[in-house]
Amino acid sequence: MASSSTSTEEATASTSTSQPENKEETKEKKEDEDDDSDKSGDEKMFECNICLDTAKDAVVSYCGHLFCWPCLYQWLETRPNRQSCPVCKAAISRDKCIPLYGRGGSGKDPRSKVPPRPPPTRTEQTDNGRFSWGSNEGNGGFHMSFGIGAFPFGFFASAFNFGGPGTTPAGANFMTPQQIEEQEFLSKVFIWVALIFIVWLMLA
Amino acid sequence: MSTPSERRLQKELMSMLKEPPTGMEVDTAVMEHNDLHTWHVRLTGAAGTLYEGENFKLQFKFSPKYPFDSPEVTFTGDNIPLHPHVYSNGHICLSILTDDWSPALSVQAVCLSIISMLSSSKEKKRPPDDALYVKTCSKNPKKTKWWYHDDTV
Repeated sequence: MASSSTSTEEATASTSTSQPENKEETKEKKEDEDDDSDKSGDEKMFECNICLDTAKDAVVSYCGHLFCWPCLYQWLETRPNRQSCPVCKAAISRDKCIPLYGRGGSGKDPRSKVPPRPPPTRTEQTDNGRFSWGSNEGNGGFHMSFGIGAFPFGFFASAFNFGGPGTTPAGANFMTPQQIEEQEFLSKVFIWVALIFIVWLMLA
Repeated sequence: MSTPSERRLQKELMSMLKEPPTGMEVDTAVMEHNDLHTWHVRLTGAAGTLYEGENFKLQFKFSPKYPFDSPEVTFTGDNIPLHPHVYSNGHICLSILTDDWSPALSVQAVCLSIISMLSSSKEKKRPPDDALYVKTCSKNPKKTKWWYHDDTV
């Protein structure tokens, strides 16, 4: 608390105009501090290492670190191909953590719940021509290229359209860069097969 | 209702104000209107090192995805430390600020790493490519493709 008051004193000394705001700020901080000091040391032992709140839907990694499942899930999704424990960097995955069941809990595996989805944060693509059609109209492009091969490949085209990952609405909204790449690769392969077929038809 | 990133920043701020760690002090003056997305932290060079007695100012910028996304950390103000991993525009070459970031790290952990990085320096000098980098880099150090090859300092 000592440093809090000194730093605000300095602040008010340097910028007299923002004085009321700073006062408000300190008041709010005080309340929060009271909040925090209510917590006993025992309770702090059960804080999630990511959100610093008491762990909700708690899971513990094999390396012994405690997290809320939604927090850990979001971290694992952030780096799907390099999943490591946030605290000790040990290898970690969905199956390498243990749900914790207290007496008051529901007894359901927290990992089976759909974690609350993160709020949508939309960022513009970096200057990369490849993505401008790949992500926004990716599915359109995907089906279009089938269209070329549809005559000789009617059976394949329909089979793939039903089973393709891009046809489900969830898949369409949630494409990882890997999926986009896969789709691009697939459509390229099919364009080539279709071209070879057309050439073969013309020659025959 | 505050977002998870604001809640976490609030908690970090409280603990840093309550138990100020040695050599770092949060400057609450820049947090106008309780905006927690930009922090200024005053660092003091550790005793017995080349930076003893010097004061530096670090600027942290947090995205709404914090702590899953690392903060943007640069030196600011008129005293940018002379160090082989610190460019004259304040950008810092430190792996935990990009590739090795973890949500279990905090403002305090980052400040400690930077103080430690300064402390292990044997020579006060700029990186060899300082002039070129400062001319060509993006404003956001996180957009730089850093190449972490020197673990000695």
